[in-house]
Amino acid sequence: MGRRLLLALLLSAPCCLVQAQEADTLAPAQVFSVQSLPVIKAAEEVSLSRLAVPPSQLADILRRFTGVQVKDYGGAGGLKTINVRSLGSEHVGIFLDGIQVDNAQNMQVDLGRFSTESLGQIQLYNAQKSTRLQTAKAYASGAAVHLQSEWPLLLDSYGGKFSLRGGALGTIAPSLQWDQRLSSRLQLKAAAAFVSTNGRYPYPCFDTTLVRENGDLRSLRLEARLRGQVRGGSWDLHLYTYGSERGFPGPVIRRAQGFPFSAERQSDQDLFVQGGWQQEWTARYATAIKYKYSRNYTHYNTHPELNPMALPYDLHYLQQSAYLSVAQSYILADFWSVDLATDVQFNALDSDAGAFVTPRRTSFYGALATRLAWEKIRTSAQVVYQGSWDIFNTPQAGGWSRENAFRSAWMPAFSIWASPWHWLEVDAYAKSSYRLPSFNDLYYSLIGNAALEPEQALQLGADIRLGTSPGPWHWELRISPYWNSVRQKIVAIPTLSQFRWTMLNIGRVETLGMDVCAQTDFHAGDWTLEMALRYSLQRALDRSTPGSSTYGNQIPYIPLHSGSIYFSAKWKDWELGWDSSFTGSRWSRTANTPDYYLSPWSITDVSLGKLLRLPPLRHRARCPELRLGLTCGNLFNQPYQIVQGYPMPGINLMGNVSFSW
Amino acid sequence: MRKTTLLCLLLAAVCACQKTPVPEPAPADADLSGTTVDLSTVQGLVARKIFVLNEGQMGSNNATLDFLRVSDANYIAGAFKKMNPDAAAGLGDVGNDIVVIGDELWMVVNNSGIVEVLSARDETEVAVIALPTPRSIAFDQQYAYVTSWAGASFSDTKNPKGQVYRIDLKTKQVEGSVEVGYQPEGIALSQGKLYVANSGGISSTLPPSYSYDNTVSIIDAASFQLRQTVEVQVNLAKVFADGSGNVYVTTAGNYWDVHSGLYMLDAAGHVSHISDYVSLAALSGDTLYCLGTEEEYEWTLPSKIWEAWRCTNGQKENIDLALEEQTPYGLCVLGQNALMIGDAGDYFNPGSVALYVDGNKKWSVTAGVCPGHFAIW
Repeated sequence: MGRRLLLALLLSAPCCLVQAQEADTLAPAQVFSVQSLPVIKAAEEVSLSRLAVPPSQLADILRRFTGVQVKDYGGAGGLKTINVRSLGSEHVGIFLDGIQVDNAQNMQVDLGRFSTESLGQIQLYNAQKSTRLQTAKAYASGAAVHLQSEWPLLLDSYGGKFSLRGGALGTIAPSLQWDQRLSSRLQLKAAAAFVSTNGRYPYPCFDTTLVRENGDLRSLRLEARLRGQVRGGSWDLHLYTYGSERGFPGPVIRRAQGFPFSAERQSDQDLFVQGGWQQEWTARYATAIKYKYSRNYTHYNTHPELNPMALPYDLHYLQQSAYLSVAQSYILADFWSVDLATDVQFNALDSDAGAFVTPRRTSFYGALATRLAWEKIRTSAQVVYQGSWDIFNTPQAGGWSRENAFRSAWMPAFSIWASPWHWLEVDAYAKSSYRLPSFNDLYYSLIGNAALEPEQALQLGADIRLGTSPGPWHWELRISPYWNSVRQKIVAIPTLSQFRWTMLNIGRVETLGMDVCAQTDFHAGDWTLEMALRYSLQRALDRSTPGSSTYGNQIPYIPLHSGSIYFSAKWKDWELGWDSSFTGSRWSRTANTPDYYLSPWSITDVSLGKLLRLPPLRHRARCPELRLGLTCGNLFNQPYQIVQGYPMPGINLMGNVSFSW
Repeated sequence: MRKTTLLCLLLAAVCACQKTPVPEPAPADADLSGTTVDLSTVQGLVARKIFVLNEGQMGSNNATLDFLRVSDANYIAGAFKKMNPDAAAGLGDVGNDIVVIGDELWMVVNNSGIVEVLSARDETEVAVIALPTPRSIAFDQQYAYVTSWAGASFSDTKNPKGQVYRIDLKTKQVEGSVEVGYQPEGIALSQGKLYVANSGGISSTLPPSYSYDNTVSIIDAASFQLRQTVEVQVNLAKVFADGSGNVYVTTAGNYWDVHSGLYMLDAAGHVSHISDYVSLAALSGDTLYCLGTEEEYEWTLPSKIWEAWRCTNGQKENIDLALEEQTPYGLCVLGQNALMIGDAGDYFNPGSVALYVDGNKKWSVTAGVCPGHFAIW
């Protein structure tokens, strides 16, 4: 009964939700209660297992969401970051299984490092997700992308998947996944994935056509996850390593003949261990512990021996982070619960770069939240405290310093949701959040500013959702107006290379916007048709210095209009997908002049998938499946640049074969 | 309209013909027009054009060339693109130096690896010379000399020393190079010798020494050989040679405990310290004009107190300047009583160029991103 209710709720929930996940055999024995539902639902949600040919890049999925700008420097190895509602990518928390993926060095999480292969579900929350037992950091971010690992339903004691992707840009990417039930309470999942691409594609370079060079990438990802069940609770452990070696093709600029654009290389070795333990001690009291250790080693070399135009850099960076979160939740009454989450984190950055100050940061996050929830109305209020202590070594000043080292903030938020009738849901929220200056902002030699003020974001928003109940013909409409303001905004824009940033303090930005999403699906016989239209309006204006020449101008890289069209048709085991994205004109500078005007662009990706069910093997319950997919990216071969100077690939064809058993 | 303008110009040219013995047709850029400014209070200005090179932002390919036409006091922005519409890539990435020699305008486009030669008359392209990471330029009668951060041999990947390349003024061909110090910046010719300021700007961030260069390399121009290396102070920036054999060098300091400064070298290579706190300097005849602030390392200070002074034969004399710009980035001396100051603003959006007459601001116009370099024709 509980599960059916959950299913019904999930199906009627977010606008762009596709379908409930597969039933989870290992889910903790949790008493379903209205207290487990988020007050503000996910603005966008995608279940990857539902897609016949899921995009291999996370960025390609997030790109079509409302209110989202993905900055993409092109190619396989190019940096990809997400910005939600003009807040800046530093305000967007990326959470993997509830634990934040962070980067204290520049607070930019590269979406290009995430593979969609091991993910089950992707959700975007404006403001935040607010469910029971989440970490304090999850309460603290301005917007949140939650990535959930996929745990497939195992009908047998083991299962697996081999897939091979390849095609454009000289890409070849085999991966292998193995799922094993170790006992009735213990499941293992191991995966290995290799990607190799030469990153070569033609692009228009001023009045000629060239081929992008030095954009190749090789990466290897190895990971293992363990999930277990204990009486009244569950635990999980995730080991992850990622190694890559890539080139940065550099911006397209005027360059004398005979000199290459770039010979820059970067190699990375990332490692993390994360996990958690969630326990329902009584019907009313539960705790969750989450922990993580991560280590990221980067070697960056400009290779002046290959490129006489290169500045001779050969630098190494080591970033380490340790994190612990303890969350408690107590249900005071059926309609009332209280949550307390406390997180501590330690970050360290070391490098052999000159005048490097080796910063260390200890942060504390405390979140107190309470929730009142009934069937037709839910409301929550919270306050988050964040304090961070920096210590950095300046040899010139004679050792370790704590100058300007303490930063703290209180972040309140309030949200309310109501559903007077089953076809209407309305919610509203107000949230204040805060992001710390990154190590680069503060301590980067000659550019950083150790006295930098943190950024503060205030968000007001509402959602109106209309829709029909699930059935043969179903539609949903979401209208989400919002206003937000970011003060003391620090903007980092990569210049010559993606590794070196220019700090720009735009000061203050006010954004008035609206997201609209309409979706419908239709089922008849062997046919299923789905369609989604999305539109975002963002008026993100510079409000830094009244009287300045840029006051009241649209901030860089934010289009006033953007949108996407998604269409898919399924017939028996065939699936056709059509995905068009539109981005209106933008400027690359706050000076909104013709010199810095960026043309609108639109691209269309088309995919075709076929599922072949093979006869079951002996002693096996599950039928092996063969999936064949073909994706054509940028079907109309539109030349476009998301970031000025970084051309994106034209038409490209990618094939995909996967066999699961 | 355009025809009428041309006709007027033709008439003006014809009228001019009657007065001047050498007939001069109207230059091709005569119908470019921009912002009209006021030069009436500038005394003793003998020039046809004042060129402004806007550096642009590294990696953004947005270096631009502006000029102020003295005859009708018109400030024209983005002249390179207007006069060279076929050059699709524009002027390039990071304009680092600009010098007029004869009727030619030589510009160093650092991150494009290009020395761009234009006609000073109409900004049309004369030659494009490829050179790795060029920084600054100096001339004698026969050659242009360009400092470069790139070593002649790129086998030493760790920290290559820089070079001075020599370009024949007639053929526009590169003819050899001389190795100097680390990341050379400014260069000037004085009495047959080239003085090169070595910065070590990149060396200071590289292991194992993490140190700036502190030397001036002195090259004999005729033999194109390194003659002498003189220690001055860390992180040398620009070099100016007056007509009396004095060579001034500015230093940028180490951004920590050694402040920027101005030093003078005599013909024998003796160094004397003239002043600290030099952010900008520009030579006019035998006098060097400087702009600086004692608060140069106060990174978070919202506004700073700037001081201006000039130096003749090593003698420093304060001048009055009520500077309104907070991010002065380029300096040029006009006539006897005026300064042009480029303001970089936020270093990201287009900056401005202002005129100060007798120490007071007269006007400012919008320029390109980081207006840092001037040349007078």
